[in-house]
Amino acid sequence: MAGKPVRPVNAIDQTRRMLSLVTYLRERPGARIEDVARAFGITEDELVSDLDVLPMCGTSFRGGDLLDIDTDGERIWWHNPAALGAEAAEPLRLAADEATALLVAARAVATLPGLRESDRQALLRATAKVETAAGEAAGASARLSVTFESEGGVFADVDRAIAERRRLWIRYYSPARDELSEREIDPIRLVSVGHTYVEAWCRRSEARRTFRLDRVAEIKILDEPSAPPEVELRDLSEGLVQPAAEDPQVVVEVGPGGRWVAEYYPHDSADELPDGGLRITLRTPDPASLKRLALRLGRDGRIVAPDDLVDSARRAAREALAAYDGTGTAG
Amino acid sequence: MAIAKAERLMNLALCLLGTRRPLSKRELRESIEAYLEAASDDAFNRMFERDKDDLRELGLVIETVENLEGEVGYLARRDSNRLPAITLDAEEAAALGLAAKVWQQARLAGAASGALQKLRAAGLPEDVDPYGAHSALEPRIPVHEAAFEPLMLACRDRRPVVFDYRKATAAQPEPRHVEPWALECWRGHWYLAGWDRDRGAERVFRLSRITGKVRSRGTRYTAPVPDVVTVRETVASWAGESADRSARIRLRTDAGYPLRAKATSVRELGGGWEELEIPYGHGLDAWLVEFGADVVVLEPAELRADVVDRLRAVAKG
Repeated sequence: MAGKPVRPVNAIDQTRRMLSLVTYLRERPGARIEDVARAFGITEDELVSDLDVLPMCGTSFRGGDLLDIDTDGERIWWHNPAALGAEAAEPLRLAADEATALLVAARAVATLPGLRESDRQALLRATAKVETAAGEAAGASARLSVTFESEGGVFADVDRAIAERRRLWIRYYSPARDELSEREIDPIRLVSVGHTYVEAWCRRSEARRTFRLDRVAEIKILDEPSAPPEVELRDLSEGLVQPAAEDPQVVVEVGPGGRWVAEYYPHDSADELPDGGLRITLRTPDPASLKRLALRLGRDGRIVAPDDLVDSARRAAREALAAYDGTGTAG
Repeated sequence: MAIAKAERLMNLALCLLGTRRPLSKRELRESIEAYLEAASDDAFNRMFERDKDDLRELGLVIETVENLEGEVGYLARRDSNRLPAITLDAEEAAALGLAAKVWQQARLAGAASGALQKLRAAGLPEDVDPYGAHSALEPRIPVHEAAFEPLMLACRDRRPVVFDYRKATAAQPEPRHVEPWALECWRGHWYLAGWDRDRGAERVFRLSRITGKVRSRGTRYTAPVPDVVTVRETVASWAGESADRSARIRLRTDAGYPLRAKATSVRELGGGWEELEIPYGHGLDAWLVEFGADVVVLEPAELRADVVDRLRAVAKG
C-alpha cells in the first residue's frame, strides 16, 4: 500500500454516491431530481450523470439484471428494484475516512465558542450517534483535530444580530494603523477560517468589510434594523484577503529568518534567493499598512519597493531609537 | 470508448454485495464488461487489484475466501457491511449538514459528503435546513498544504514517513524521518506531531515548511504512540503565548490597543504616556518593534537591547 499514487477523487466519490443513491431511490419511487440532488448535496447535473451510469450497473454476473433506472428529466423511476436483492440495497457502513471527515468537522464546529447552545447540543448528540454507528471506523478520527478561534462574547452578539436582523456598533482595532475606530455595521455572515470573522456592510465606508472578531474591542447590538444591500457572497475558499489587480505592488526581500512572510501574506510570487531567503512580490490596497512588517523584520528582511514605504519604515525606526538615546544603549 | 471507472467500481461493488458465495476472479471477469474488455490478463489483474483497494477505501469490507479446489473467491458479506441502525432528529441532521460542509480539502470534503449520503440513504431527515445555502455561520477548515493528504493517510495507517523540512530560520531544508501521530489545525495552519527518529524525541512540524514530497517508509513504528497528543501547547509556546516573565514598557496613550488588552497593569504617566506591565514570552521583541516610536521598553535590559538591535537594523535600511 505504501507510496500509492494519489488518484483523482471523482470516480471514487461518484461510486460512493451511487451506492447510497440506489438505497435511497429504492425507497422513493418517482423521486424528484431536484429533491434528490438537494438531499445528496450535489448539482442536478451531477445527479443526471449518475443516472446515466446506473443503467450500466447491476449484479450482472450470470445473467443478473442491470438496474433499469431512468428519468423523464423531472422524476426518477426504477422499474426493476428487485434486480438488487433487498439486502444488497441496505445502507453501507461508514469508511474510516468518511467517519474521520465528518467527526473531526463536527467536533471542530462544536468548539466554536459562540455557537448557540441548542445547536451545540444537537451537534454533540449527533456526533455521539455517528461515533457509535461508525464503530471501529471512528478510531482514526482522533488523529486529526481542528480548533476554531473566536471570541465567545463577540461571536454570540454578532450571531444574535444576524438572527434578529439588527445593526451593530463596534470599536474595532486596525493593526495596519494601530488605531481603534468606531463604526456601525450590518452583519451578513460569520466565517471561520482559523480565526473567526464577520462579513458585514460597513456604514462608515459604505462598502463590504470583513472584521476579525478578536480585534473587536467593544460591541453593542443597536435597535436599528440591519439593512445590508444585496451583495453577492464571495467564495472565501481562496482566502479572505483577495488583493485586486490594480493594487500597488510591494517587494520584500527576506533572509531565511523572514521566510514566514510568504506563509502569512498572500503574494504574487516568492523567488528563492541564493542565501536561502526569498524575494516576495505582493499587492495591497494600502502599502503604508506594511510599515509594521518592515519594522518587525529587523535584520531578517527589508522592503525594497515602493520607495516611500522604505523611507517611512526607516524614519519610524530612527524616531523610535531616539527614545533610547543617551541611556547607553544607542550609538 | 473506455468504460468509466465509476461504472466498473459500481459493478464490482454490486456483484460482491449481491452474492452469497465467494466469486472467483474468473467469474467476476466474465460478469463485468470493463474486465472483459481488458487487453490482457495482466491488465485485468492490475485493474482488479486497484479496484478492490478503491472499494476498501470506500469502506467496503471484502473478504477473500479459498474454496476446496484452492481457488480464491471474493465477497462482501452483508452483515459486515451494513450500517448499524442510527436515528437522528431534524436538528441533529442539520448540525451534521453544517459540519459536512466545512472541509476545503477535496478528499475529506468528498468523504464527509459521502458519510452524509450514507446517512441520508439510512433515513437521515432532510426537510429542515436552518443554515441554507447562504448560511449566517460558515466555518471552513482550510487546507493549503500539499503535505496534508499523504500525512493524513500516514497517520491513519500508522506508516513512518520521510520529508524535507525547512526550519523557520534555516536556509536549507533537511530530511526528517518521522513516525506521524496526529495532525492539528490551529489558527488556520496545520501541524504534525510525531516521533522524530533522528532526534529520538517528540517533535511538532508545521506543514507549510515541508518542502517536496512526503514519502512513506514501509516499516513499523519504533516508539510508542501516546494516548493524548498535544500539538497546540507546543505551537502556542512558539507563538510566545506561554510567557513566564513580564516586561515593563512605556506606551503612548492612543496607541497599542492589543498591548493594553494583554497588560497586567496600566499606570498613567502624564504627557500622553502610560506605563504597562505585559507578559514577556518568545517573540515579544519583534512585536514591540512594530509599534515604532509609540513604545519604549523600560525593562528587562535584555528585551530593551533586542528591540534596539532590531530598530537599528531597520534604521540602516
